[in-house]
Amino acid sequence: MLLLALDTSTAQVSVAFGDGGAVLGSVQLGGGRRHAEQLAPAIEYLRDECGVRLDHLAAIAVGTGPGLFTGLRVGVTTAKVMAQALRIPVVGVPSLDLVAYPLRHSERTVVAVLDARRREVFAARYQPVPGGVQRVSDYAVHVPTELVAELMADVGESPHGLLLAGDGVARFPDEFAALEHAEVAGPEYASPSVAALVALATARAEREEFEQPADVRPLYLRRSDAEIAWERQAIGREPAVGDTGRPVSGE
Amino acid sequence: MTLHTTTHDAAQTHALGQRIGALLRAGDVVVLDGDLGTGKTVLAKGIAVALGIDEPVVSPTFTVVREYDAPTPLVHVDVYRLDHLQELHDLGFDDLVGGEAVTLVEWGDRVSAALPRDRLRVLLEPGEGDDDRVVSIDAAGTAWGERRDALVAAVGG
Repeated sequence: MLLLALDTSTAQVSVAFGDGGAVLGSVQLGGGRRHAEQLAPAIEYLRDECGVRLDHLAAIAVGTGPGLFTGLRVGVTTAKVMAQALRIPVVGVPSLDLVAYPLRHSERTVVAVLDARRREVFAARYQPVPGGVQRVSDYAVHVPTELVAELMADVGESPHGLLLAGDGVARFPDEFAALEHAEVAGPEYASPSVAALVALATARAEREEFEQPADVRPLYLRRSDAEIAWERQAIGREPAVGDTGRPVSGE
Repeated sequence: MTLHTTTHDAAQTHALGQRIGALLRAGDVVVLDGDLGTGKTVLAKGIAVALGIDEPVVSPTFTVVREYDAPTPLVHVDVYRLDHLQELHDLGFDDLVGGEAVTLVEWGDRVSAALPRDRLRVLLEPGEGDDDRVVSIDAAGTAWGERRDALVAAVGG
């Protein structure tokens, strides 16, 4: 089963072609907010170098976040558009799972932590189980000190200690240093693994756990229904008819 | 901690912006509040000068977000035209805040829920004279704790 896998939920752009769960070739580009410029050329380069034809793809796998908003939009949109054009399904896998999965051979409770900007992190906890990891918390956005306090309070649930991974850990070293019994995975585990995406998505595709392109949704944890409160503060003159309620001044 | 000072003309507001700007670091968020015409953009221009930005800084009311490149880049946001917090998320605002740039948010009080807790809030209000502005400055969060004395010195009066 031939898959295209892509994850753009962090500052990194990751692309791979996979066959039967193994990676045929992959590209990882670090360095910033250039997802829109880098993703399509990376796919094209890999397609040529791996010698695959897009019309032979069985599905497209995409990391669905949580992660950086702009990157997620680029990745999920690219996956949906390509899947629609090729008339193949999409397999969405949360990006935090892609941080945790490569650490499945540890005994420790894995805490996947991605930088959410705004001095916050996205995180989820996983217990290693045979053949993978099992998520034991919600995907959530945290202030780092609060995540650390929560992990300390739940220390009894992690008899083998914690293993922290993801770019959110290095971003807040002082906060996470307060955790005892916690080991930090190396920088090679800082980003969602596109090899993990190939492996997990292939297994799901084989079980036909697909989504139709239109149904794939990124995990935005910061959605808000709140209206911005613009009270009328008529200073100098009355609000005009049709004014949306912003303060009005005499300017 | 709230600090107060009064500026007597736009040049003094600009100079205050420069002194505040000199204290800013990557990741800082500054909320600028005050009615139209009280000098939020003047203060923003002063901050931009302190960050080494030589492009002209204009109010981003219509573009909502403007980015300026510098050693510490500046993201200048004006939420005046927005009606829902979701619009701010949809602009990719969350990706810009708390990273390598300083973020200035005009009318930021109105979108408080979308901002990090660590922030500097600057409120400009009309004073007694026509050009007088009473400036109130609040620093919230650990990131400002260690800069407290420097902030007191910068604000003066």
